[in-house]
Amino acid sequence: MQGGEVLGLLGPNGSGKSTLMKTIVGIIKPDTGNIRVLGTDVATDPTTIKRMIGYVPESPRLYEFLSGVEYLDFVADIHGLPKGERQERIVEFLRALDLEGRENELIHGYSQGMKQKLAIIAALLHHPRVLILDEPLNALDPRSARIVKDLLHKFRDNGIPTVFSTHVLEIADAMCDRIIIMDGGHIIAEGTTQELRKKAGTAGSTLEEIFLKLTGTSDTKDLVEALGR
Amino acid sequence: MRPNIVWPLAVVLTKSQLRGRQRSKRLAKLFGNPRIIFIADILILGILGTVGYYVTSNFPHDFMTAAGRVVLEALIGIPTITTFMIILFGILSELSQPIQSTSADLVNWLPIAPSDYVLGSTLSLSYTYSFLLAFFLGLTLGPAIFLGYGPVLVASALMGVLSLFVGSSVVELIRSVTNRISSSFYRKSGRSGIFARLALTIIVLVIFQLIFSGRVIASVLGRLTQTVAEVWYVPVMWPSLTVESLNAPTTFTPVGYGILSLGFMLIIFGLAVGMRKAYWVPVPVAIKLSAQPYHASIGMLRIPGANVAESAIIQKDLRSLTRRREMARFLAIPFVLAVSLWVSLYPYGSSSQGFGLNDIIPLYLIPIAIFCEVLSMTSIGQEGSAIWNLYIAPLNASNVVNAKMYLTNILGSIFTCGLLLAISLLSKRGAGEILSLLLMGLLVVIEESALGVYVAGRFPDFRETVRSRYVSLSGSLLGPLLALVVATVTAAPILFSDYVPAILPPVLFEILIGILLFVLLWKLAIRQVAHLLTEIQV
Repeated sequence: MQGGEVLGLLGPNGSGKSTLMKTIVGIIKPDTGNIRVLGTDVATDPTTIKRMIGYVPESPRLYEFLSGVEYLDFVADIHGLPKGERQERIVEFLRALDLEGRENELIHGYSQGMKQKLAIIAALLHHPRVLILDEPLNALDPRSARIVKDLLHKFRDNGIPTVFSTHVLEIADAMCDRIIIMDGGHIIAEGTTQELRKKAGTAGSTLEEIFLKLTGTSDTKDLVEALGR
Repeated sequence: MRPNIVWPLAVVLTKSQLRGRQRSKRLAKLFGNPRIIFIADILILGILGTVGYYVTSNFPHDFMTAAGRVVLEALIGIPTITTFMIILFGILSELSQPIQSTSADLVNWLPIAPSDYVLGSTLSLSYTYSFLLAFFLGLTLGPAIFLGYGPVLVASALMGVLSLFVGSSVVELIRSVTNRISSSFYRKSGRSGIFARLALTIIVLVIFQLIFSGRVIASVLGRLTQTVAEVWYVPVMWPSLTVESLNAPTTFTPVGYGILSLGFMLIIFGLAVGMRKAYWVPVPVAIKLSAQPYHASIGMLRIPGANVAESAIIQKDLRSLTRRREMARFLAIPFVLAVSLWVSLYPYGSSSQGFGLNDIIPLYLIPIAIFCEVLSMTSIGQEGSAIWNLYIAPLNASNVVNAKMYLTNILGSIFTCGLLLAISLLSKRGAGEILSLLLMGLLVVIEESALGVYVAGRFPDFRETVRSRYVSLSGSLLGPLLALVVATVTAAPILFSDYVPAILPPVLFEILIGILLFVLLWKLAIRQVAHLLTEIQV
């Protein structure tokens, strides 16, 4: 990947997007091959990689019995974030994502969206040099989703490469420099939206139409007819 | 209450209870069908009844005449004991459920009334725990038939079923209260409420487990049946009084006590319905720990002997330990074990004079070893699915091992000192012996904490189910066994100092063994955790 590139991973459920991301982060061993992040082999030095990566998993499970700030303090401690910087960043993130005033509550009582916001803050707190985001906009309210998208643009401007998966194809279309479509654990297509259009042979079509064509799931009319009866 | 709602609900709740307890798919398939309980009940009754009848029929006639009274007392006691036992099992089961699983929340969005739910849940609980009644009845079945106590047996069985329902209703009442009122309480009281709950939970667990230890039950059963008529005003005794009044002339007739028992059962059931109605609509749980805005305090987080990352894990683990109700049963282990061992084995009065250091060592080391081992070997599995936080954090294996050992070392050392204080007060040992025991205890604490992390890394179980074990079955069997071996090896220089010619003074030899074992186990733990961190398990 190039510096500042945003790579979108698309694919049906179970196509291997999350597994690929976990492999990049170093928490699943690849069956074959090597992964290098910023020149470092994931298999040989996973700790260094983890220090550089900001990762949001598909369904983040947090420590339910910590409060929001206790959790963020925990992550900041693990990354060795200095006190002044930690204070500034945590307060700013809490304010930006509307968690201010709720930070002392136990995570157990948070909504799904609040947990997602906390996971995003935890991933961005330590100035990551690479972002791996597995459906980061899941469950976010429109304002917070907008802030996260703007942040990703900002990171792109700052030269931080980002891999992110989503099922919202409009978002992928608007945000990604390059898109990979996966199915059954394999990459079935790769390129810009224009390049994918050519591959699918569907000039002028939307990303949704390209996706459905390439993943062989475009013939849904009969099913919908039957279900709608 | 609508049977067409209650019945399917009871079946679903029973299946959930049965399957939630099984760790392996094969067992879940075998024990996941509610019919298995009925089959088990019949088998228990049949086998125990047949064996009991065979044994009884071979006893001398004189002995059986004397034993008749005991059998009668047992039949009278069955309903009361059944109620107590189901409440005990219910409390233990409730306490060990993750706080997230509040079963009514799963169905209260469906067109189900609270009364339907309570009846369904009570029936499910009664059926699930019917093996208790089958066991008690099975024990008495053979002798009762042989001695011609048929009518008393039938009455005891009927009242036993009623008591099963009373106990289940009480458990249902406890569920409603703990699931809802507690959250309101914590919201108001914050940190102090969390600590109060933990302390209360441990006290309840210790008391219940001690009360229901075999020895205590035996003596209670004996006394209960002798004085049963004197406690006619205690409602939970009415089912037993119904059985007793079949044979003895009392104030009320069996029918009178039977009606009272039924009335009591309906009142308890009504209370359970009322409580469930009151807390049927979920109260959003939002426990606020502080009203202060966030202020970073990195300096305060540093724990002596641990780096910042390790300190962060230790702080997190300590907070989780005190805030998760399912952890209370692990913290209760040393107290239950220590009190049970001392009550059972320590000779009180004049015979305690001959109780030497070698007699005290097992009573002292076993609770320490088991406590530290259990705490440490569950330390990785209890992360549950949140373990990914550690996987993606820039931590090496020694960070995780050191952090996980630290908490066990602190809690184990506190427990060791407390136990030693109790021993010094109880048995008046000399200062030399107390110091020797202290050294031995602390060595065992650090060894077991390292061994525990090795077992935790080798056999983790991240599944969050009812009565989560946090370590696989193999680990939960192997861990305590190895813990006892390690404790024995450490204490061996002192225990066998009279028999083996000493190359070194026993205490020095003990220190040497302790340190060597610790270093070995610590290195093994690091290697195991390093392996674990390369392949996410959830």
